[in-house]
Amino acid sequence: MNTVVAQLQRQFQDYLVSLYQQFTELRKLQDEGTPDFVAEVVSLFFDDCSKLINTMSRSLERPENVDFKQVDSGVHQLKGSSSSVGARRVKNVCISFKECCDVQNREGCLRCLQQVDYEYKMLKTKLQDLFNLEQRILQAGGMIPQVNIS
Amino acid sequence: MTMEQDIEAMDQFPLGMRVLAVDDDQTCLRILETLLHRCQYHVTTTDKAQTALELLRENKNKFDLVISDVDMPDMDGFKLVELVGLEMDLPVIMLSAHSDPKNVMKGVKHGACDYLVKPVRIEELKNIWQHVVRKSKFKKMIKSIVTTNCVSEGNSDQNGVRANRKRKDQLEEEDEEQEEQERGNEKKPRVIWTRELHNKFLAAVDHVGVKNAVPKKILELMNVDNLTRENVGSHLQKFRLALKKINNEANQQANLDSQFTQMSSLKGLGSFHHYRPIPLGSSQFHGGAATMRHYPSNRTLAGMFSSSLPRNHNDGGYMLQGMPLPPLETLHIANNNNNNKAFPSFTSQQSSPLVSPNNHFVPEGHQGFSPHLEINKRLEDWSNAVLSNNIPQSNLHSKPDALEWNLFGNSTSPNLDTTNQTSFCRDTDFGSPNAAQADSFDPLQMKQQHENILSPMTVAQLLRSSSGNEGLFMGQQKLENGFMASDTGSLDDIVNSMMTQEQSQAEFSEGDWVWVA
Repeated sequence: MNTVVAQLQRQFQDYLVSLYQQFTELRKLQDEGTPDFVAEVVSLFFDDCSKLINTMSRSLERPENVDFKQVDSGVHQLKGSSSSVGARRVKNVCISFKECCDVQNREGCLRCLQQVDYEYKMLKTKLQDLFNLEQRILQAGGMIPQVNIS
Repeated sequence: MTMEQDIEAMDQFPLGMRVLAVDDDQTCLRILETLLHRCQYHVTTTDKAQTALELLRENKNKFDLVISDVDMPDMDGFKLVELVGLEMDLPVIMLSAHSDPKNVMKGVKHGACDYLVKPVRIEELKNIWQHVVRKSKFKKMIKSIVTTNCVSEGNSDQNGVRANRKRKDQLEEEDEEQEEQERGNEKKPRVIWTRELHNKFLAAVDHVGVKNAVPKKILELMNVDNLTRENVGSHLQKFRLALKKINNEANQQANLDSQFTQMSSLKGLGSFHHYRPIPLGSSQFHGGAATMRHYPSNRTLAGMFSSSLPRNHNDGGYMLQGMPLPPLETLHIANNNNNNKAFPSFTSQQSSPLVSPNNHFVPEGHQGFSPHLEINKRLEDWSNAVLSNNIPQSNLHSKPDALEWNLFGNSTSPNLDTTNQTSFCRDTDFGSPNAAQADSFDPLQMKQQHENILSPMTVAQLLRSSSGNEGLFMGQQKLENGFMASDTGSLDDIVNSMMTQEQSQAEFSEGDWVWVA
């Protein structure tokens, strides 16, 4: 049992390390009295993400009529929420996304959009796994390891 | 919130500060809310700017601070900032994913108190309460609440609450007025004692007599606009202190050097004779010098060396009384810069004239000079502080006015200590007073015009002078400016000549000082 827990914990740690500092901060916030805080925030984030991506893809759909303003606003928002949550990779894509937007590069925008989509889905999966691991550790009677990501 | 709640909130401020958070991004809003809770603020959230405005309008006192995102679909964040500032006068903090300086500038222009960039860190949020405090409204409220609290402690009655509110409002008003008044008081411009002003002062003092000089009378005589009794009072105080100091030093000197009757030109020495410790305004020393000038000339230093000090101290130590004030125009008004320097500390001017000079006073010989030096130094300090920088360093001490010995009798005045120590070179030239003395007899004579300054000061008195007078002689150099015994017109000359004499004076040998024990 202990070895199982230990193993899970190790896995957990690895996952966590591969994530971002901000996320750890979010977790810190959770630990102090709002048990589902991180889960809640992260799911909010993912919802927002998918919504924004949909909006932006609609705007970029027709090459002759791209509403770059809307795309820009979407990117901006995505950038804000991803940085707040700690999704660094998503945020970084947003930066290049914004640059494409500024020069009204539809192709570039589409590429960035794709990347954003990919990144956020990746993150979602990872976090999902993390949550699952957490649950398993707890069920196995172990403690959730605190990892210091510096 | 009720009054009590308000008061409670204030007591624990910044805990419980009521924040309204506005952001259309659910993720960010949720995070913000949690962070604010972590800071122990009271948080209300909304994702619509319109809703936020409604909430705010509903009760202006419901919130202390607003944090708002910039990019919102239903209303421009900047516009919200502006409206909130105008209508509710609440501090608004802007939040944005952009860190573009232009945006920041825009925020500031629209009245935002602060501009935070996402992701917001809890450290930043921990300090946002400062913006609430800055708003004066809050300050007044605190004041009035505190006052009201004191006034109506434990009164939780509804009427009481209403009354408190009323009183609070009144207090707020009063506070405002008070603040304005205080501000007005604080802004009173500082009076700078220019040469002319100082001259007027001297004339007034002279007119009423130093001993009778009171700020009110002086003020009336001076007849200057925008001059208050307080200004005159403090100036007079400085003047007196300086004079006293000079007198003390002069007394000491007198004992040492009977030749120093010609003190007039002696800048430092002049003070010796001139015990006219009339700190004449910025040119306190000048004033002193001036007064010195008029001192009855007990020019012969020889007298100093006699067993008694009773030089022809015409006025028997009349330092400030009846002594004709030196022509005011000769009073050099020291640099205004020096105005505020500490004057040498004179003990009460009007006190008994003979202040025993430093106890170090050694009637004969070498040690004698230290007191001289001290006195000179003091005077010098004072002069320097007060007067122009031309205060020559003169070792020559005119015969101290017996009257003024008391001035220097006291221990070192703090002023002295704190004034330009630089001007004194205790260790310097005065090192060998004897030598200096020997050399400077002539200069002394030249310079000392007022011999009488040394009133019948006994050596004992001289000796009594406190160590504080040490600088007297040294200071006298400075004093010289003030103590130019010579007639007005020559004050400048004297000063200048004194300057040149400095070195020679510095070399007075102690041995030449004969102190009558």
